[in-house]
Amino acid sequence: MTSDESVIEQWLHSCVRCSNCKYVFREYSPSCPSGEHFGFETYYASGRIWLAQALYKGELEWEVSLLDPIFACTTCGNCESQCLAPHSEHIVDMIEELRARAVQEIGGLPSHIRFRENVVQYHNPYGAEHHNRNLVETYGLPLQAETVYFVGCTSNYRETQIRDATISVLKKAGVDFTVVDEYCCCSPLIRTGQLDPVNEAAQHNADAIRAAGAKRIITSCSGCYRTLSRDYPKLGVDLGVEVVHITQLLKELIDKGAIVPKQTEHRKIITWHDPCHLGRAMGIYDAPRDVISKLPVDLVEMETTRENAWCCGGGGGAKAAYNDWSVETARTRIEQALRTGAELIVSACPFCTRNLRDGSSEDGPPVIDLTELVDRFI
Amino acid sequence: MSLKEKFERIVGADHVSDGAAERYVYSRDMTENPPRTPQLIVMPSTTEEVQQIVRLANEERVPLVPFATGQSVGGLTIPQVNDAVIVDLKRMNKILDVDEEGMYMVVEPGVTFGHVRKYLDENHPGLRYTYAISSPFTSVIANALLQGLCDLSTRYGAMAEFINGLEAVLPTGEIVRVGSAILGDDNWFGRYPLPDLVGLFTGWQGMTGIVTKMALQLWPKKPFTRHFALFTFGDFMTTDLLKQIVRADLADDAGALSFSVVKGLIGMPAPIEAIEGEPDYGTFLTLSGVTSLVLDEKVRLLERMVNSSKVKEPKNLLIPFEAVARLMSEEAYGWVDFPSDSFKQLTEYDGLTWMGTYIHTKNWGEALFKGRKIVEKYGYELMAFLKPMKGMHFCEFKFIIRFERDDENLKRVRQCNNELLDLALDLKAIPYKTPVWSAKKLHERADPNFIELVRRIRDLLDPHGIMNPGRWGL
Ligand SMILES: Cc1cc2nc3c(=O)[nH]c(=O)nc-3n(C[C@H](O)[C@H](O)[C@H](O)COP(=O)(O)OP(=O)(O)OC[C@H]3O[C@@H](n4cnc5c(N)ncnc54)[C@H](O)[C@@H]3O)c2cc1C
Ligand code: SF4
Ligand code: SF4
Repeated sequence: MTSDESVIEQWLHSCVRCSNCKYVFREYSPSCPSGEHFGFETYYASGRIWLAQALYKGELEWEVSLLDPIFACTTCGNCESQCLAPHSEHIVDMIEELRARAVQEIGGLPSHIRFRENVVQYHNPYGAEHHNRNLVETYGLPLQAETVYFVGCTSNYRETQIRDATISVLKKAGVDFTVVDEYCCCSPLIRTGQLDPVNEAAQHNADAIRAAGAKRIITSCSGCYRTLSRDYPKLGVDLGVEVVHITQLLKELIDKGAIVPKQTEHRKIITWHDPCHLGRAMGIYDAPRDVISKLPVDLVEMETTRENAWCCGGGGGAKAAYNDWSVETARTRIEQALRTGAELIVSACPFCTRNLRDGSSEDGPPVIDLTELVDRFI
Repeated sequence: MSLKEKFERIVGADHVSDGAAERYVYSRDMTENPPRTPQLIVMPSTTEEVQQIVRLANEERVPLVPFATGQSVGGLTIPQVNDAVIVDLKRMNKILDVDEEGMYMVVEPGVTFGHVRKYLDENHPGLRYTYAISSPFTSVIANALLQGLCDLSTRYGAMAEFINGLEAVLPTGEIVRVGSAILGDDNWFGRYPLPDLVGLFTGWQGMTGIVTKMALQLWPKKPFTRHFALFTFGDFMTTDLLKQIVRADLADDAGALSFSVVKGLIGMPAPIEAIEGEPDYGTFLTLSGVTSLVLDEKVRLLERMVNSSKVKEPKNLLIPFEAVARLMSEEAYGWVDFPSDSFKQLTEYDGLTWMGTYIHTKNWGEALFKGRKIVEKYGYELMAFLKPMKGMHFCEFKFIIRFERDDENLKRVRQCNNELLDLALDLKAIPYKTPVWSAKKLHERADPNFIELVRRIRDLLDPHGIMNPGRWGL
């Protein structure tokens, strides 16, 4: 981050390595996908904190063998929910700062460097041809509008069904919206400590949103939502408008009758996966559940939910660098979902959707986005 | 083939590390005990893998340090010699059996209090184990091996008493069992009548082998239970009253805390200072009965004892836990139901230590009276924790110090613990979970023939000196 304040320095004398972050408090089920898989103490939050402190104090020299413990973490923040110590809310910040230092000192992981280069060259981490503005023509959107739909790279270049469902719902609800020439929000870069290109891209997005005359931004990606709402202000980038996640907007639209879900006879059993960026990072747990409660489906919750929800395994650069472990983490979540008897697994983050699908078997319940589900019933 | 590759052949490449990160993190713990870097960390998942690790270590003369979660608060997993290999046992995390009729469970070393609690609640709701105030994620086997104390210790004594038998890989690689399960599985009912070889492993801090299974006693949950908070004044008056209560067999658990700790429990931020006129101790008492009548009678007796104590100290106060919960929060029930829930305030900094001992009942009050003066002299918060043990046959006390691990504090903490240990030894207390410096001081005062016997047994079991060498000052 641009701020000179070091969160590692601020918490240089914390973390007694009590292990509480390893398991869900009072539930005793695993909380940390990284530690659970790799096993060594270094792969839990406490290990990373101790490393961050040691490197800061100069008790440990930088070397490449440190990279795995530093980067094999989904930054899911479940450790923050379990830790009882005063630094608990800052663990992911410490890990992200540690990563930024690692990138500076010894360079990042090759797969992360690749998506950084893509962001610089193509404005998205996938290296796809940048085409955001085409959506305006394709969907007949205005050049200026009250609301900007910030599509996000994964919805725009990979999980396009989420983008399409979001646009469909917004149109059906009569929302005055457009899309702008957005660049990657840079969540993947911030999470992986590659901060150099971030400010420029963020500033570009701020300018594009301002030019559209928008009063609010809607995101269908939880990662974009967290980044625009939480990380941009820390970077000193002021978007000057409200940032709303689609689940919040859907609730608002349903509450005021702008969309009215049809009721059907057969009610599917569904389960809800809390995306880490939406839930733990931003505290939004109820909006999606409120929306689901208005649909002709029956929600059965998984054994870990809300602040204790098991991560999909896709975040923090884990999918790019450690795909096998990332998918194994998703599989654990899918097993939890299967135990609910759900016919559909629903979430609200393209990254979760993608990774959960990678962790599913072909004959398992489909994984879809909440916007797709809502779109079916309006 | 390198040593690392040899270990990798046993446990798989993913479960061996010589990375700088792992070597750093396993070189230290939260205490003031000096770090030392191991050469490798290995994580076995079966007894057979442990056996192969030990055999390899014997061939290569490699020191091994068993590690469960590294939370002994005594530096006990910090290697005492160079080039040690840490054997991290957390992958051995199965609860192998719960025998309802014999009231015991058989567990592996990676099983923690939290896991036992959850497993019993879900599968054997009529049974309970005993729980420490450590984080829920410390090893039940390690705690029993270290003769720790938990919330049934007031009645039954140190945790090692709960061991029915165990399986261990000896330093020479043989797998042995001790206790009644020498006649086979499903028979872990006890240690007697046999030579009691459980003692070859308890209190040895991992010097006599790696315990791979342990049978531990469970207890039926009492149908009628009530909790009380007792606030008292003065070290001697407090310990005298607790002695009376426990000798009368009224309490299943009586954990007494300096009032500062109580204030911490209700959320007072660090550092917590003692205020003139406030109680010195808050004791959480658990009373139970097989019928409500029995319980009521115990409560009546307890109230009578506390009332009598008011002759000497009118401010002594006994309040039902319901009132505590109303005053503090519903969370308070967590502290008595599962004491691990109350350890939060011990996570304030990166440093935590204590000098803890078991002591003769007659010397308990004096230890507290003099100990608090030492802690006050060093300017640390007054955080004593005391427990009557085994129906008042002996007692426990410790002074907890939470601190920032900077050079200045490390020095000061060492001095403070040193003085506390001298006081304890003067009163013939035995320090538990002893770091090396503390064990060495104990050796100076102990019967030399005992120390020699310990040495001879260790040498007999571990001719190449591979198991946790240097531990306990040997
Ligand atoms: C905040 C806090 C509060 C605590 N409160 C209490 C309390 O109330 N009561 C209490 O008794 N303790 C308490 N403790 C201490 C702790 O719970 C125990 O000492 C403990 O369980 C041992 O720690 P561990 O499980 O991490 O084992 P480790 O520290 O990993 O190991 C301890 C020792 O046992 C050896 N060892 C471990 N496993 C094996 C094995 N399988 N075979 C052979 N040797 C082995 C190790 O080499 C080492 O010498 C507390 C600790 C903390 C951090
Ligand atoms: S991060 Fe928090 S919960 Fe985890 S070991 Fe450190 S103090 Fe304990
Ligand atoms: S952020 Fe998630 S993966 Fe990373 S240490 Fe915390 S719980 Fe583990």
